[in-house]
Amino acid sequence: MIFSYNWISRYLDPGAGADEIAGRLTAAGLAVENSEPRGDDVLFDVDVTTNRPDCMNHVGLAREASTLLAQGLRFPDTTTDAADPAVGELARVVVEDGYGCPRYVALVVRGAKVGPSPGWLVEHLEAIGQRSINNIVDITNFVLWELGQPIHAFDLAKLAAGTIVVRRAREGERLTTLDEEDRQLDPKILVIADAERPVALAGIMGGFDSEVSDSTVDILIESAHFDPARVRSGAKALGLHTDASHRFERGADPDICRVAADRVAKLIAEIAGGQVQKGALDVRNEECDWQLAGHLSLERAVRFGGVDLDAADVVRWLTGVGFSMDQTAPGEWDVKVPTWRYYDMRPDPAKPISEPQGPVFEADFFEEILRLHGLEGIPSTLPAVGAPDQGFSTAHECRQTIRTHLAASGYVEAITFAFHEEVADQRYPALEKAGDVLRLANPLSELYVVMRRSLIPGLIGAAEFNQRRGCQAIRLFEIGHLFPGGDSTELEAVALIGGGQTDLPWDRAMPFDLFELKGVVESLGARFGVEIVAGSAELPGLVSGTSSQLHEATLTGPNMGFMGQLEDARSPYPLYVAELSTSSFSVDQVRPIELPSRYPGVEVDLTLTQSADTAWSEIAQTIRKAAVQDLVSFGLKDRYWGEGVPAGAVNTTICFLYNAADSSLTRDEVNERHEAMRKLLEQRFGWKGEV
Amino acid sequence: MSSDQTGDSGPAEDLAGRLEEFEQEALKVSDRPGWDELRVRWVGRKQGIVRTLLAGLKDVPAGERRDYGQGVNRLKQKVEERLEEIGAQLDASEKSISRQAAAVDVSLPGRRPEVGAIHPVNVVTQHIVEIFRALGYSVADGPEVEDDFHNFEALNFPVGHPARDTQDTFFLEDGRLLRTHTSPVQVRTMLARKPPIRVICPGRVYRHDNDLRHSPMFHQVEGLAVAEGITMGDLKGTLEAFLQRLFHPDTGVRLRPSYFPFTEPSVEVDITCPFCRGEGCQTCSNTGWMEILGAGMVDPRVLSKCGIDPAIYSGFAFGLGLDRVAMIRYGIPNIRMLFDNDERLLRQVQI
Repeated sequence: MIFSYNWISRYLDPGAGADEIAGRLTAAGLAVENSEPRGDDVLFDVDVTTNRPDCMNHVGLAREASTLLAQGLRFPDTTTDAADPAVGELARVVVEDGYGCPRYVALVVRGAKVGPSPGWLVEHLEAIGQRSINNIVDITNFVLWELGQPIHAFDLAKLAAGTIVVRRAREGERLTTLDEEDRQLDPKILVIADAERPVALAGIMGGFDSEVSDSTVDILIESAHFDPARVRSGAKALGLHTDASHRFERGADPDICRVAADRVAKLIAEIAGGQVQKGALDVRNEECDWQLAGHLSLERAVRFGGVDLDAADVVRWLTGVGFSMDQTAPGEWDVKVPTWRYYDMRPDPAKPISEPQGPVFEADFFEEILRLHGLEGIPSTLPAVGAPDQGFSTAHECRQTIRTHLAASGYVEAITFAFHEEVADQRYPALEKAGDVLRLANPLSELYVVMRRSLIPGLIGAAEFNQRRGCQAIRLFEIGHLFPGGDSTELEAVALIGGGQTDLPWDRAMPFDLFELKGVVESLGARFGVEIVAGSAELPGLVSGTSSQLHEATLTGPNMGFMGQLEDARSPYPLYVAELSTSSFSVDQVRPIELPSRYPGVEVDLTLTQSADTAWSEIAQTIRKAAVQDLVSFGLKDRYWGEGVPAGAVNTTICFLYNAADSSLTRDEVNERHEAMRKLLEQRFGWKGEV
Repeated sequence: MSSDQTGDSGPAEDLAGRLEEFEQEALKVSDRPGWDELRVRWVGRKQGIVRTLLAGLKDVPAGERRDYGQGVNRLKQKVEERLEEIGAQLDASEKSISRQAAAVDVSLPGRRPEVGAIHPVNVVTQHIVEIFRALGYSVADGPEVEDDFHNFEALNFPVGHPARDTQDTFFLEDGRLLRTHTSPVQVRTMLARKPPIRVICPGRVYRHDNDLRHSPMFHQVEGLAVAEGITMGDLKGTLEAFLQRLFHPDTGVRLRPSYFPFTEPSVEVDITCPFCRGEGCQTCSNTGWMEILGAGMVDPRVLSKCGIDPAIYSGFAFGLGLDRVAMIRYGIPNIRMLFDNDERLLRQVQI
């Protein structure tokens, strides 16, 4: 928001340089983001935060500056020379919605001459980027930027029966606004009407028909207070945002209506030569009480800030920006909040404005004191809390362990969007689908319309991105939340995608197949002491025969996820994917290690001719169950088809390691154990078909 | 010498011939077995020529014995010297042969194990987690689909509050929303626990914003400390300790008053520009400062909504954009490049 240094300086006594004012305001929370010399003036671009509508005008900024500079504030002159007849004889105000409009002040100036504005007025407005229209409109605009109160000037002659009615718009009513747009109204919108029809959108914009024109002679000045929520919903419904609505939505000063109206009347009389009429029409909703108060203790302020504060400074600062203080004991005050800070400081902003508020939170006073003190002078300390936080959870460690493990296994972590297109939700398997997919009400596009139930589509997108850039080996993973749908809680998953290889013979790269990916999945499980077993399953989007469900420990164990080769990949080489819930992974428990034997072990191979239909997992399970004495491990050494192996069979070579904990096994002992194993496997799985 | 003293072909005369004979044989040695053969033949312990000559001493007339003995010893010495010399020559040529056989171009590339990478955002996250772990904080998580209460209302954004406009929100059709910040996790933490609380909450957040400088999904870390007697000075000291560890020990930290609905006082925090160390450069528009995070003392309205008595407890909170820190750290100019997942970029980040 642009402000003029010269304009601010009108109210400062004696004033200071532009740099000093900009610096002080910035340090107190009114950040002057840019300071630009313009002629003999300097324009400040001030970032006024939404809680400080009271500083969206020049007097408001001057009030802050005067306090920070310990100077006087020259408030604008609002005295008028009023004459009969009184306003009440010339106009009438009826407020039907006293909650939407808790106060309405109307003044009348008669016999004004509408014309161009004097140079000083044009200059002030143009400095801050406002176009001069005519003297009357310019004066209302000037007062908005001077005092922060939006004012509207009606041509009194154009108000039917000289009457103002503040009410909700009726269904089907229309209004052509100042911007010459014809607008459809509805009861959400608060309007200013005359005896017959709406003439302005309350707190937002005036109407075209009742605006001041060259022929206007008598003017009705409206200076009202509107409920922020009411103005906001009206402005939103109409898609309008104006200087007036900007202030009312954030909360104007409820008590400035009369002062601002007087200021406008005085300026009209001075500039346009009209006669201010006596008195005012001033309609108030007495239920609304804008007085907020609370208690302030210097000792608590010091403790809160962690900084020494002087009572005299505190009083000077707070009274400087409009608080009134009543000392109840040394360093203790009852503090009244200025009405222009009402919306910022009310303890319960969710309460309607007509309901009384409780005492102001003391932290609101602390904030004022600390920002006026300046934050630079606060000494740096650390919280005096001894023990580490008690809410320790290992979920983050677990994630980090997965991340490190997969990165160390050659995979690159991707981060993809958590929403994708509808079709992606149907095309691939999901760990959990509970009810309808979660849909965005306002998606960016059709590509990002539902919340993901699988990380796979995102990873495929990332793989394709890299393939388009010539990547010959895809190794990606992602850890992220999944949204099963309905009211189900989110779950966390890790997914991998892999395929391709570098084609440099020097690197002797292994061809990438399903078991490369499965190996990483298994080793990730092993990292957490979880054995992951795969059971063949038909799954959408995955090549039939390669796809499987992953289970914990056994095929009947809890479902952990799925794995397989991607169907329909636009990839030059096969891509393999796996997705796992991380819920089975935990770093909470440390598994004891098994002490290795001090005696040498003996490795013995066994080649079994078996039916190609028998799953390795079945054989492995049988070996494990047999619990042959001193067998410490076994592994798949080779699989062989072809010459010498009957059709439908496969030669499986298994390597066994026998090792006793307390002695060296003799050849006979090993043979005895191995023979038992051989017999068992031959009996159970040995090829019985044709040779 | 003594060999010339007699006319017959006595042992002394024989010695000169022997040396000549040895030299001739030595010239023919070209490899290690030849060398071994020569050594055994001349100075072998059992039947070597030198030993045989010494054994013949007893047959030499007494007067010549001394000369003869010395002559044999000289022969032995010369033979041994020469053998050593030839041995050394053989060593050198053998080494050169084996070197030739084993020689490789040591500048050829090694075969590296394939190592992956952790996403830059998560590298930064982990760094921050570790800094706060050391300060006694724990890590808290929360859902990404939130309700209005946790994302807005409990954080003092009442319905119709203009500050809601600054958080372009994705809504779900069922009325819930995607969290616009990680602050709902502090609400959840305060509702679930009693002070003292010190947590940080990293995570994904969403805003309805998609252009060159914005991504609809990005990352924040939220920090929260609530206990009796937490001061504004504690916030300042904590942020200084944190930012100096995250960026550089000399990093300057500046607090400017600002406004967020859920903190009071609210501050925006600047650090001395990490690129120019405060000297002024293009990145910091020559100010020497860079805005890095928002923070403040937890608003008493928020404490109350979360069941914590603001008359007893106070606290501070801060929120930092993780993507921005990753961009600063790795010199990535555009947030959207973080989510392209270009492995050529990602692989450069060390685990």
